[in-house]
Amino acid sequence: MASHIVCKVSELPPGERKIVELEGRSIGVFNIKDSYYAIKNVCPHYKVALCEGTVTGMPLPSKVGEYVWGREGEIIRCPWHGWEFDILNGKSIFNPHKCRVATYDVTVEPIQENLEDERVETFHVTVEDGVVVLHI
Amino acid sequence: MSDSTATQAEVKSQKRTLAVIDCDVHIQPVSYDEIKAYMRQPFRDMFNLFKGRGIFDNPLGRTTIKGNTPSGGPIASDPNHLREQLIKPNNIETAILSPWIYADFFSDPDFKAEINAAFNSWVHDKWLNSKVNYDGVFKASITVSHQDPNLAVKEIERWAGHPDFVQVYLDSGSRAPLGQRQYWPIYEACERYGLPLAIHVGTDGLGGNSRFTTGFPNRYVEWLTLVPCNFQAHLVSFLTEGVFERFPGLRMVLLEGGTFWLPGMLWRLDALYKSFRFEIPWVKKLPSLYVKDHIRFGTQPMHRPDNDEHFRYLLEVIDAENIMMFSSDYPHFDTDVAAEIFPRNISDQMKNKIFYENAKAFYNL
Repeated sequence: MASHIVCKVSELPPGERKIVELEGRSIGVFNIKDSYYAIKNVCPHYKVALCEGTVTGMPLPSKVGEYVWGREGEIIRCPWHGWEFDILNGKSIFNPHKCRVATYDVTVEPIQENLEDERVETFHVTVEDGVVVLHI
Repeated sequence: MSDSTATQAEVKSQKRTLAVIDCDVHIQPVSYDEIKAYMRQPFRDMFNLFKGRGIFDNPLGRTTIKGNTPSGGPIASDPNHLREQLIKPNNIETAILSPWIYADFFSDPDFKAEINAAFNSWVHDKWLNSKVNYDGVFKASITVSHQDPNLAVKEIERWAGHPDFVQVYLDSGSRAPLGQRQYWPIYEACERYGLPLAIHVGTDGLGGNSRFTTGFPNRYVEWLTLVPCNFQAHLVSFLTEGVFERFPGLRMVLLEGGTFWLPGMLWRLDALYKSFRFEIPWVKKLPSLYVKDHIRFGTQPMHRPDNDEHFRYLLEVIDAENIMMFSSDYPHFDTDVAAEIFPRNISDQMKNKIFYENAKAFYNL
């Protein structure tokens, strides 16, 4: 398992995402209400770039005839066929036990010189700013 | 030694006489005067006008196998003759009876309700609560029209609780896909009284009903071939509208609408659910997963490919062992004979479930 700095915290504000290529993998890193999540940028359906889809909410499972909107900002819809995935755990909404996308841990850490990865851009950061670190 | 031989003979004889529950047996009055006797005016006189499918009446000139009963009436009008021609030769333990009424050809909901009520009374008096049913072989359907669900519920309530009325029966010809919520009072009543719902081919696309094809087919052969399109529409409607989420106790049987289209239609629906679940958030699992718990299919008309292995495989693909129930559609021209519908490569277990066990459980017989 390796850790990679993705960007400065200030460069990934809530509601935004960054798609990075690391170790030959394309991964989407998301800031959802100041929590950070990462999922593989590959839809399990047709292997297309899932993380380029719309980040949205979803109608929650409901009583018949009722629509209850929820999970705003926590759901991504594949840009191709519209399949819904939970960014928090990678599970598809339609069949969470059988269809899911890989997830990765993301942490926010203070700047430490030795954390910086040769393969990603290095940044001038202040001590107050942290870095978003992806563990794959 | 002789004991063992006797046992073998017994087993053989049991095999030959596999018990059958026939889920679709049709009956008719000797004369429509029998039905009119139950009708109020002005409906009694109105009922002279027309009975049938209009432009898609059967061009054979008859809807049934040919012949009259020894008592002189039309076929399937004499309980004793029906026993001789259908019940005994096929070892039928229970026959679920329904007259073919076609009330849904009409547009007037009160007229339809009166016709159905008259037929239900006739079924009750002549077939169920009569000495002809001395052994209880006859069970029957409460026929209702869906156009005015409140009238349908009233009719269900007239008969619910009668031990021999075992299901509610709808014509698949309708003005809208039958899963839609305007029809739900009927399903609520079915659930409340523990009555399964049967949907049967009737006046599909005719009279006051919506077309289910593009425009009108030209001929009967085309219309009858295409009727499964209407059943597909109803099934998809039930699944997407969430009828089985709303009425988890509801069970339904589809009669004469075909079965081998089922996997293709369910694969398509499941695939689209993955993209459009947000439209129907009350559907909480892949739509196909509701079928086994709630829906059964009558076997008639049973179609067979030339290759028996293909047939066996098709039955496996649709999970026939768990979702099919034998129906003869006696005495109609396309009736199926129980002993003839399966080739030899179909297992006894599957046959026993389809001929007997599935219906026994479905109807709580």
